[in-house]
Amino acid sequence: MAIKETMAIEDAAVPDAGGAWTKAQPWITTAGRVGLAGVLGYAGWAKVTEPPALQKLAVSSYQILPDSLVAPVGFGLPILELVLAVLLLLGFGTRFTGAFSGLLMIIFIGGIISVWSRGLSIDCGCFGSGGAVEQGQTRYLQEILRDTGFLALAAWITAFPRSKLALDRLLGLYKD
Amino acid sequence: MSKAARERTARDRLAEERKRQAERHKRLRAIMVTLGAIAVIAVVVVAFVAVQSNRDNTDGYQGPLAPLSRQADGSVVMAKAGVAGPVLEVFEDFQCPACKNFEDVNGDTAKRLAAEGKVKVIYRPFRLFQQEPLKSNSQRAANAAECAPADKWIALHDLIFKNQPAEGSKGFSNKDLIGWGKEAGINDAAFEKCVNQGEKNSVVDQATQYASSAGVQGTPTLNLNGTKLGDDATYTQAGLEKAIQAAASAPAPSATPSATPSKSN
Repeated sequence: MAIKETMAIEDAAVPDAGGAWTKAQPWITTAGRVGLAGVLGYAGWAKVTEPPALQKLAVSSYQILPDSLVAPVGFGLPILELVLAVLLLLGFGTRFTGAFSGLLMIIFIGGIISVWSRGLSIDCGCFGSGGAVEQGQTRYLQEILRDTGFLALAAWITAFPRSKLALDRLLGLYKD
Repeated sequence: MSKAARERTARDRLAEERKRQAERHKRLRAIMVTLGAIAVIAVVVVAFVAVQSNRDNTDGYQGPLAPLSRQADGSVVMAKAGVAGPVLEVFEDFQCPACKNFEDVNGDTAKRLAAEGKVKVIYRPFRLFQQEPLKSNSQRAANAAECAPADKWIALHDLIFKNQPAEGSKGFSNKDLIGWGKEAGINDAAFEKCVNQGEKNSVVDQATQYASSAGVQGTPTLNLNGTKLGDDATYTQAGLEKAIQAAASAPAPSATPSATPSKSN
């Protein structure tokens, strides 16, 4: 089972020279949690405050999902991002929320690559206001690089879920 | 094996067993917390999607429409006799996906408010897109809409949006447009000829120039008494209704409530 395997990684602990890693890593992960939560929170908020029709438009402009799935995804994605942001900020289920966020980033990157390869001209709608843009106004490479950065952040959190100021710690998880 | 050695192995085994148990507990905790996180995510997301879907409901107005008439510049007015304002100008491109979203959400709202005499709607379809195949799609659809008699216009307009081709693919063939015209109740040969020969292409060009001179940069653009409406008013039913109400109660010099019905169009 996946959990077993990942637990093993955690328990193996990274080879430690003189405790510097043990001291620094939890704080780095905490910073990563706050950073990723900020990104997801901002992205979710920017979308969720838009009218539902625009949330659907942003999704349908990718021309990937069937019509019946456009509304649930369009409405669900922003709130999912917000919930993940809150959980990351609280440090609840850190490894899972980190992995979930990473998976989301992989999906986003895949979506942008798909749109790019089909020659469509859209804004990724990552931070709201998606939909068609003029040809030559696309920013796919920047969008992919940005999401890759966020993916790296999520990967770090998933690999090293031990962190300070986390609810998990109170629940006896990912302690020093 | 000596007794002491045996005791030590027993102790070791016990310690090992304890360690394993601690591991198991830890694993269990990790699973419980993960399940908790999944539960939180699932409940909040599902509840929220339900709320949003509800908010996304459209008007569903099926009642009679306000009279439709075509103005000299090719635009189409939908208003009850004597209603001079507030004036809602709808700039749209038949190929524009956001316009379809606007029509899906608020097309019925505009019809109902016009039928209730609360607003005078002016539809100003034009050609926004500059690149192929969108440009030709837009042009053919706008031409066909110009060819349609005013009283059947809104039905054709709705059918064109309903059948909007995916962005980037060729669509709105003249044959399809004539078919939707029939569906909308336009059966005369003049319409067919007008569509096939692009007879109203120059009117579409004029409408496009008008839109650009009116400062329209994207579609849909909704101007209420000349002021561009924001996203909330454009894409939510409550938003549009509120904006129109506010415009009606604002002291606009041009908007005289119809005490004496005057044939304005």
